[in-house]
Amino acid sequence: MIVFITGGAKNGKSSFAQDLAVKLARGGKRYYIATMIPCDEEDRERIRRHIADRDGLGFETVECGRDIGSCLLQAEPQGSFLLDSVTALLMNELYPDPATWALDPTAPERCEKGLLELCGRVANLVLVSDYIYSDAAKYDAQTETFRKGLARLDRAIARIADTVIEVSAGNLILLKGVLPQ
Amino acid sequence: MNLIIGGAYQGKRDFARNTLNIPQGEMFTCTDETIDFSKACIDRLEDYVLACVQKGIDPLEQLKAQDLRDKTIICMDMFCGVVPIDAQMRLWRHSTGLVCQYLAKRADRVYRIVCGLEQRLK
Repeated sequence: MIVFITGGAKNGKSSFAQDLAVKLARGGKRYYIATMIPCDEEDRERIRRHIADRDGLGFETVECGRDIGSCLLQAEPQGSFLLDSVTALLMNELYPDPATWALDPTAPERCEKGLLELCGRVANLVLVSDYIYSDAAKYDAQTETFRKGLARLDRAIARIADTVIEVSAGNLILLKGVLPQ
Repeated sequence: MNLIIGGAYQGKRDFARNTLNIPQGEMFTCTDETIDFSKACIDRLEDYVLACVQKGIDPLEQLKAQDLRDKTIICMDMFCGVVPIDAQMRLWRHSTGLVCQYLAKRADRVYRIVCGLEQRLK
């Protein structure tokens, strides 16, 4: 089962997604696909906090910041996967070289292909993305490339997902399908 | 009237085309303070509002003068971010909000598009 979770920042998407991935595993293998590639101490602290959050839920962590399909080199496809987040994955692929921060315009298409392939190969996958599309601003071209790219991924996943949920202040708004029991 | 709202890049225009069956030739895309009201569908109303604000025109008064009963209108939901620092951008957001409320009140159907999926709000 493929479940896509979106919503604004700090609304409880990750906690809900963790619990859901555990539920879908039904006692079987559960994998946390760690997408964040740490750049500084702030990132490392955030990762430590996330690991502590997952403590006791039985997740095996698979580091996969780019080329998302490669996470299956370290995991069994019949498990239950949590990908948090699509946003971080796209950022890593858009800016492959932290020394230059040169934007790779082919990243959204490549991410879309990789994500859809992964969705087709695993038994259960919960994907978390960020809703960043409703503010009154005219951004620079690079930021618009990022927003447009993320929206492309969101829409591609939502199209094939069994269930799509928007999380708002910890509450669930069902956009597609049924809530997994 | 149909009103379609939703964030940037969420698939509002595709929804108008594919679900409401608006032909390509009936789609008017706003780029300035003029609207071709002979078309069935008016897209990017937020850009019309921005042009009005920049030229000192009240977009709501302009729209009130039109018969919009048979129209499908698409407008970006831009109301969930930080208050813009720039006064003109603030006025843009404010005016677009007033326009959306006016249209939503008169619309027969209001749709919100999220990640290509529709929610019927009215």
